[in-house]
Amino acid sequence: MTTRAGADAPLHGLDKVATKAQATKFIPGQPDMWAFVLFETLIFTSYFVVYLLFRTQHREPYLQAQADLDLRVGIFNTIALLLSSWAVARCVQAARNGAYRSALTNAFLTILFGFVFFVSKVLEWVKEIRMGNGFTTNEFFQHYFFLTSIHCLHLLIGFIVMGVVVYQLWHPKRRSQELVETGATYWHTVDFLWVLIFALLYVVR
Amino acid sequence: MSAASAEALAPLEQPPGSLISRFIWHCRNNPKRELWFAWGTTVVFYNFFTISFFVLSRTQPPANPALDAQGAAHWFEKNHYGILLGFAIMFLVTGMTAPQNALIAYSMRRMSISPTFGYSYLVLYSLSAVPGMLLLCIVLTVGAMRPERDPQIQQWLFDLGFLSYVGTMGVFLIGSIVWMLAILIDKNRVFPKWFGYLNLCNALTEVVVSPAWIFHSGVFAWNGVIAWWIDMVVFGIYTGVFLTLLRNMIRREDFGTGVLPDLPPKQTLETPQLAKAAS
Repeated sequence: MTTRAGADAPLHGLDKVATKAQATKFIPGQPDMWAFVLFETLIFTSYFVVYLLFRTQHREPYLQAQADLDLRVGIFNTIALLLSSWAVARCVQAARNGAYRSALTNAFLTILFGFVFFVSKVLEWVKEIRMGNGFTTNEFFQHYFFLTSIHCLHLLIGFIVMGVVVYQLWHPKRRSQELVETGATYWHTVDFLWVLIFALLYVVR
Repeated sequence: MSAASAEALAPLEQPPGSLISRFIWHCRNNPKRELWFAWGTTVVFYNFFTISFFVLSRTQPPANPALDAQGAAHWFEKNHYGILLGFAIMFLVTGMTAPQNALIAYSMRRMSISPTFGYSYLVLYSLSAVPGMLLLCIVLTVGAMRPERDPQIQQWLFDLGFLSYVGTMGVFLIGSIVWMLAILIDKNRVFPKWFGYLNLCNALTEVVVSPAWIFHSGVFAWNGVIAWWIDMVVFGIYTGVFLTLLRNMIRREDFGTGVLPDLPPKQTLETPQLAKAAS
């Protein structure tokens, strides 16, 4: 979690204690969004537990089906989303410093990298379906299509959220730092969930 | 704040007496009696719902979708009386969802937003009850009426009943999103923003049910771990949360038009404040 006091110059005595207390209390964006992050994480954890339990029971068929997934595509997806998260973090930092032009550029970069992820994911789905791996083909691909599509739905909602961020940054009369950080928190959640999905579907063999 | 709302804010001096006499006194004098009636009706409805669906008719958790025609016919035979009794209760109490929808629409009318949100929610949820609940009750009661019917037809009724109930959860999705948007853009602080986001979580789990139309078994079938069990847990939490928040909203209601006041902190409650909070 980011702390505003983190970048401050070294302090001594009581000031330091007070700043530390402030720093530990600071939550980026609306604290309510963190409740969403927690709840979504719990729901996704339950999906992951179900996947892992079934995988443990039918290890061989899962491994065979998994061999059809291209790890390089997964890595490309992950890099695209990590870049988008990096851009949204720079957007927040720029908005905090009042550099709204730079913040807007980074918000658009976030959307661009998110879109690259989305297109590559759709192309991967098409490729898998052409290879004969559909949603009903086997258990592994049931989980694959389910987890990747529910995650993609979160990504599409993320585009709306980033639209709100751009709307906030666009006009000097708005520019709510809280909403910008709330949007960034949501976007990081999309990224964070993808990293877990990537690890479970592509990497764990 | 209008004179009427100022009057409504005046602490109620309820007379001492038995529980029944105080209840009658509140029915006559409490300015929030209609709101409490709607809230109480909602709680009573969910109790009936739980008893009818989980205990009597055994339709929750749903029956196995992999059952063949004989299995479906046998399921109707086994649950014959439970279905008839459980759904007879549901036919009687389904109307109790109306005050619940009205109270939720009222919560949106109390917000600083356009009335179209409340009206949309009201219409959406009133219509959703038909495929989302009533159709299951009617179809399974028809199945239970003649257990000796051709098993093929019984299986058809079995599929129609469960798919209409579990598979159409999406009809509630837009309602949840309407409520979410209303909460997020509201400036009167009627509900906390995190509840707006919880509406999104609930809406997203309703999407997850859609594979129930494809699978006969497994985690995505209509009785599957992902399609039903996880969704039901989320819906259970969501229902508990919105009942608590609606109760708090009624306690905070001042019949004004601005920001909804917070509840006074518990430690500093004086007797008149207690009476006010109770009203």
